[in-house]
Amino acid sequence: MEQIVQTIIIGLANGLIFALVALGYTLVYGIIELINFAHGDVFMLGSFMALVLISSVFALNANTPLLMMVAQILIVLAITMFATAAINVSIERVAYRPLRNAPKLAPLISAIGMSFVLQNIALLIFGPANDSVDSILPRVNVLSLVGIESITISAEQVFVAVVTIPLLLALTWFVSKTRQGKAMRATAQDPDTAGLMGVDVNRTIAITFLIGGALAGAAGVVQILYNNTTVWTLGFRFGLNAFTSAVLGGIGNLQGAVLGAMVLGLINAFSDRYLAANWTNAIVFAVLIGVLVFKPTGLLGQQLADRA
Amino acid sequence: MSAAAKPIKPGLVGWFGYLLESAMAVPGAYRDALVRRPRRTIALTALIVFGLLYPILNRQIFQPWNRASTFPLPFPEDAVVTFMIIFAIMAIGLNIVAGFAGLLDLGYVAFYALGAYTAAFFASPHFGSVTFILFSEAPPGFPGIHLPFWILVPLGFLVAATFGVLLGAPTLRLRGDYLAIVTLGFGEIVPVVFKNLSAVNFEFGPIRLVNANLTGGNLGINPIDAPRFFGISFGSNSGIAAVYLGLILLLGAIVVARNLERSRMGRAWMAIREDEVAAEMMGINTVRTKLLAFGLGASFAGVAGVMQASYQGITTSDFFQFSTSILVLIMIILGGIGNIWGVIVGALGLVFLDSTFLPYLGLRFTAINPDLPNPSQFNFLIFGILLVVMMRFRPEGFIPNRQRAAELRHAPPGQAIGSAAVLGEEALADEAKADEIAAEQVAEVEAEAAAAADAEAESATEGDQPR
Repeated sequence: MEQIVQTIIIGLANGLIFALVALGYTLVYGIIELINFAHGDVFMLGSFMALVLISSVFALNANTPLLMMVAQILIVLAITMFATAAINVSIERVAYRPLRNAPKLAPLISAIGMSFVLQNIALLIFGPANDSVDSILPRVNVLSLVGIESITISAEQVFVAVVTIPLLLALTWFVSKTRQGKAMRATAQDPDTAGLMGVDVNRTIAITFLIGGALAGAAGVVQILYNNTTVWTLGFRFGLNAFTSAVLGGIGNLQGAVLGAMVLGLINAFSDRYLAANWTNAIVFAVLIGVLVFKPTGLLGQQLADRA
Repeated sequence: MSAAAKPIKPGLVGWFGYLLESAMAVPGAYRDALVRRPRRTIALTALIVFGLLYPILNRQIFQPWNRASTFPLPFPEDAVVTFMIIFAIMAIGLNIVAGFAGLLDLGYVAFYALGAYTAAFFASPHFGSVTFILFSEAPPGFPGIHLPFWILVPLGFLVAATFGVLLGAPTLRLRGDYLAIVTLGFGEIVPVVFKNLSAVNFEFGPIRLVNANLTGGNLGINPIDAPRFFGISFGSNSGIAAVYLGLILLLGAIVVARNLERSRMGRAWMAIREDEVAAEMMGINTVRTKLLAFGLGASFAGVAGVMQASYQGITTSDFFQFSTSILVLIMIILGGIGNIWGVIVGALGLVFLDSTFLPYLGLRFTAINPDLPNPSQFNFLIFGILLVVMMRFRPEGFIPNRQRAAELRHAPPGQAIGSAAVLGEEALADEAKADEIAAEQVAEVEAEAAAAADAEAESATEGDQPR
C-alpha cells in the first residue's frame, strides 16, 4: 500500500513538470496548429541554463541559508524563464513565421530541423555526458511533520508543486481574463477573422510562444532542482512525454494538458516501478498511438475538434 | 511506353512474352528518345555508364588519388558507396509515402529495422537450437536458420509491407501532423522492442520460452550470412561485388517506383496529396490508396534493411534511431520531394557528406590546428540548419518535381494561417495564385476520372506486381 502511494506521489511530481512543458505544446498547437517539435529542446536548454546558474554563477549548495536560497532560486527562475522565452520567440520569428502561408507540413519539418539545431548546440557546448548538480534543497520528509514516516514527500517534491501550481493558475487567469488572453482565444478560433477584428495576429502568436518558452524555462529549473541532472537528448524524450500529455488531455485544451500530464506522470512512475524502466518509453508511445487512434480529441475534448 | 499499353495475357507464358516484348521494345524506344530529346538522353546514358563503371574506376583510380591526395575532394570508399545505395533505396521508398502520397512518415527507420532483423533471424546462427538450411550455401548441419539472399529480399519486402499496412490501417485516417507523430512513435517502439526482447519468459500452449534471447538485446545479432551467389560472396569484404549487388536492387527500386508513379495508383496518390476530399469525390478509395502507399513505401525500407544486415553481417537496435528517419527525410527534401531522381541524388549526396566529406574536413581542420572543431561531430547541427533553410527558401528541393513545387509554394485557400488584414496585398495575391492552382487541380482530377475507365486493365496488374 505504502509503495503504491509513494509511486503516486512520484508520478504526480513528474506530471507537474510534464504539465509545464505540455502547456507550451498545447498553447502553440491551439493557436497555429503546429506541433512545435523544438519545444522539448527549449526546455532542455532551460535546464542547462539553470544548471549553470545554480552550480557556477550563484554556487548554491545545501549549506546556503534558506531565505538566501529562496531569493536566489527566484532569480534563477526569472533569468531562465526570460531566456527561454526569448529563444522560443526567436525560433518562431526565424523558422515558423515565414512559413505561415505554406502547407502545414512545412513548418513541422522546419520545427524538426530547429529541434536538431538546439540539441546539437547543447551537445557542442556541454558535451555528450549527463551533467548533474548536488541536491541543494534540505533532505527532509515533509510528512514526518505530521507524524507519517512510512511515506515520503521530499522537499523537492514540495518545491515542484510550489513553483508549478501558481504558474498554472497564472496562465489560466491570463488566458481567460485578460485582453491579450482574449486575443489568443480569438486567434485560435479563426486567425483571419481575428485579424479583421483588429487583433494583431503576429503579435498574439509571438506572445503565445513567449509564454510557452517561459513555462519551458520554469520546467527546466524545476528539472534541475528535482532530478538534479540533464543531458542534451533530454528534450526529445521529455518533449515526447509532454506532447503525449497534451494529446491525451485534448490538444489545445489547457486544463486537458495538465490532466494529461498527471496521467502520464503516473503511467511513467508505475511502469518504472512495476514493469521495467526500459519498457517505459515504448509504453508512453503505445499510449500516444492508442489515444490518437481511438480518441484523437483526448480526455477533455479538443477545442477545435472538427479539425482532427 | 508503347509496349505497356497492350493488356497482358494471364499465366507464366503471358508474363514471359510480356517481358520479352518489353525488352525488345527498349532499343526502339531508346532510338526514339535519342531523336526526340538528344541532349537529355545522351547525358542520361553517360550518367548510367559512369554509374556502372564507378566502382571499378573508384578502386583503380580514385582511391589511389585519395591516398596521394592528388584531388582536392575525397572519393567515397566501397563501404560508403554501398550505404549510399542502401539509403537511396530508402529515399525512393519514403518518397512514395511522403512525396507521392503526401503522408509524412517520421518513423521510417522502423521498417528498415524490420528488414534488417528479418535477414538477421533467417540467415544467421542466432537460433542455434534449430537447423534449417534452404537453398542456402551455408554448410550442411550448420546451426541456425539459413535462407539465401534472393529469398530474404522478398521476405524483407513482405515483412515491412505487412507492418506498414498494420500500422497504417488504424492510423491513416488521422490528419497529416498526427500521422507524423504516430509514425514517430512506431519508429521509437520497434527498436526498443528489438533491444528489450533478450530474455523472454513466455508460455502458451506448446510454445514455452525460458529466458529466451530472441533479438540479441544490446549486442544485436551477428554474424549474419553475406549474400552469396554461385559461391561468390557479396559481403562487406567483397568490395566492388557488394556495390553491384546494391546497384541491382537500386535499379529494381527505380523501375518499380517509376512504374508506380505513372500507374493509376500513382495518379491517385497525387490526387490525394493535393486534395483528399476532392479525390474522394472523384471516386478514389482514399483509405485503400493511402494504405498501399504506406505499405509499398515501407517495403523499400525492408529491402534496404535486408541489404544492410547481409552486407554488414551485424545488426543492432542502435542502428535504428530517430535521427536515421530524419536523415532519410532530409535526403528527399534536399533532393526534391516527389522526384525520384532528385531523392536519389539527395541520398547519394547526403551519405557522401555525412560519411566521407565531413570526416575529411575534420581531418583537414585538425591538421591546421588540433583545437578546431570537428564538423563530423555535429553533423546533425548542419542537417538541422539545412532543413530550416530549405523549408524557408526552397521547399521543393534542388531537383524539384514541378507539380509538387507549385503545391509547396502556395497552400490551398483556407489552409494557410495568416490574416488578410495584416498581410495586405501580398496575401491577396497569394490567394489568387492559390485559387488558380486549385482550379488546375480540379481540372487534373477531372481528366484523371476520364482516363480512369481505359486504365482498368493496367491497374489490375500494377498494384500487386512490384518486382
